[in-house]
Amino acid sequence: MSGPLVDFVELTLVKAAPLIYAALAGVLCERAGILNIALEGQLTVGAFTGVAVAFLTGSPLLGLVAGIAAGALAGALLGIAATRFGVDQIVAGTGLNLLALGGCAFGLTVVFGQPGASSEVHSLGGRGEWILIALAFLAAIVLHFALYRTAWGLRVRACGENPKAVRSAGIDPRNVRLIATMIAGGLAGLGGVYLSLGELDLYSDGMTAGRGFIALAAVIFGRWTPFGAMGAAIGFGALAALQFTLQRSGIPSELMQALPYLAALAALTGIAGRARAPQSDGVPYTE
Amino acid sequence: MIRALGVALALAAIAALAMIVAGANPIVGFFALFRGALGGPNQIAETLVQTTSLLFPSLAVAFAFRAGLFNIGAEGQLIIGGLVAGLIGARLNVPGALAIPVILVAGAFGGALWGSTAGVLRARFGGNEVIATLMLNIVAALLANYLVVGPLHSPGATGAETAQLPESSWLPTLLADTRLTIALPIAILLAFALRFVFDRTIFGYELRAAGDAPEAARRAGINLARTAFVAMALSGAMAGLGGATIVTGVLHRFNVALSPGYGFIAIAVALVGDLDPLRIIVAAFAFGILQSGSLTMQAYAHVPKDVVTFVEGLAIVALAARRFVAERAKTSPA
Repeated sequence: MSGPLVDFVELTLVKAAPLIYAALAGVLCERAGILNIALEGQLTVGAFTGVAVAFLTGSPLLGLVAGIAAGALAGALLGIAATRFGVDQIVAGTGLNLLALGGCAFGLTVVFGQPGASSEVHSLGGRGEWILIALAFLAAIVLHFALYRTAWGLRVRACGENPKAVRSAGIDPRNVRLIATMIAGGLAGLGGVYLSLGELDLYSDGMTAGRGFIALAAVIFGRWTPFGAMGAAIGFGALAALQFTLQRSGIPSELMQALPYLAALAALTGIAGRARAPQSDGVPYTE
Repeated sequence: MIRALGVALALAAIAALAMIVAGANPIVGFFALFRGALGGPNQIAETLVQTTSLLFPSLAVAFAFRAGLFNIGAEGQLIIGGLVAGLIGARLNVPGALAIPVILVAGAFGGALWGSTAGVLRARFGGNEVIATLMLNIVAALLANYLVVGPLHSPGATGAETAQLPESSWLPTLLADTRLTIALPIAILLAFALRFVFDRTIFGYELRAAGDAPEAARRAGINLARTAFVAMALSGAMAGLGGATIVTGVLHRFNVALSPGYGFIAIAVALVGDLDPLRIIVAAFAFGILQSGSLTMQAYAHVPKDVVTFVEGLAIVALAARRFVAERAKTSPA
């Protein structure tokens, strides 16, 4: 089966998958009360670690596992900084983005002996890419059920709305938030691995290209729900796919690239109906 | 002070460790870094150029922070300021003496426009200024790229940049054959002016009150929405002015890559300077050394220059924690 429409749908899914992972990570963090603007850094760390480990061990599967672990570790750094040291989440997130950018560029030179881009490594291949795309949708379903149908999910959502109430129920909101940032970091790391070992077979500086910020837009547009964010991510993926179709149509590609961000700005005005962040989103909890 | 020194030492130790990982001798690495930044008059001039380019957005970030607003968008505001300066500067036909002030003011206006967009979202709609400024950063870069490559493309330009500004619009240099211009004294004057505004004016008091205790400020009759709008617009103007000085003083044209992330590094500078305009001057010089010495370090000691970005990120996380620890120590009775 082929044809322009099938190609377009395929490309949409390919472009949407990393956005879905990162957007789900964003939803989980914000529902727990952590505004994670370090998603971009976590994608970068996942993408780089995946390729570096695949290169050093020769196994893309080990690269996949390492990329997820590295993303979770990056997420934990944010979680620890925000819950244990009371560092402002926004400031910490900005710092962690710089840290990831510099660290991966540095690591690239150390591991591959060249700046800019790594050499090609064994990737997960076409089948691996499609498994990861399918997994992204599965992750949205799992997160939906976990958030709305489990006791853990109830605690996470309560931490995003009213952490003091969680505390009076005898649970430490700081731990709930820390775990949420780690799982989210792992999800974002997986999104990064998808970029470097799924869609491509190498790492290059700046390859995440702002997807972590598009994901934040998808969270707002999806009204802080897993399915909503997934839908927004698919929409933004379709925009990215449309760019290829419209390359020669005279519509500036920059405009297409800017649309997700402009949509997010519009959403902030409340133009698209009521969009309310969790009550304690980004509000530090201290004792 | 001692704590700040401790953080600096810890960061230096981590940088040294990174150099060892990269297979370099840290002593050689640090020596190359400082020689590249301070090894002669030309090197010092270039370090001061980096100091200047960092100082404008750092003051912008600190100004907004003091008013309780997270301006993560200094990068975008700086780019728009530079873009406006470049587009006007390359086309402007006014006598030299007028050209420079016109271009600088236009750049500041561009940055103010960009900053106040986030300010409006916050003031009118209660939208999160962090998300707004993050999004506006990327839109700024895309807009600049589109305009410079597309409809406003200058015939003389080769890449994603405007044509060169006529020499009459270049900022006067302080030291012959360097890129060090009067932008540095302008930035330092701005820092002193901000210090005066914060300490001696009602407006500055209102800004600080809105930042330190918004609820009390509201009850005291301070209009928080208006304060947020004005603070974001002025913060954007400072960053935009910085972009305009890079165009008129350093590159003599607008290039889409005019900032290696000054707007983000500025957050580290502002925190190191404890959000105090005068201490930020010193902090900007310290980060200027890192920026200008990193290439020499890479060339002579074979340490990838990205170590600097890594350490800057670490500094932001560490210093944000230090501030909190210091505040908690102040408030807790024990």
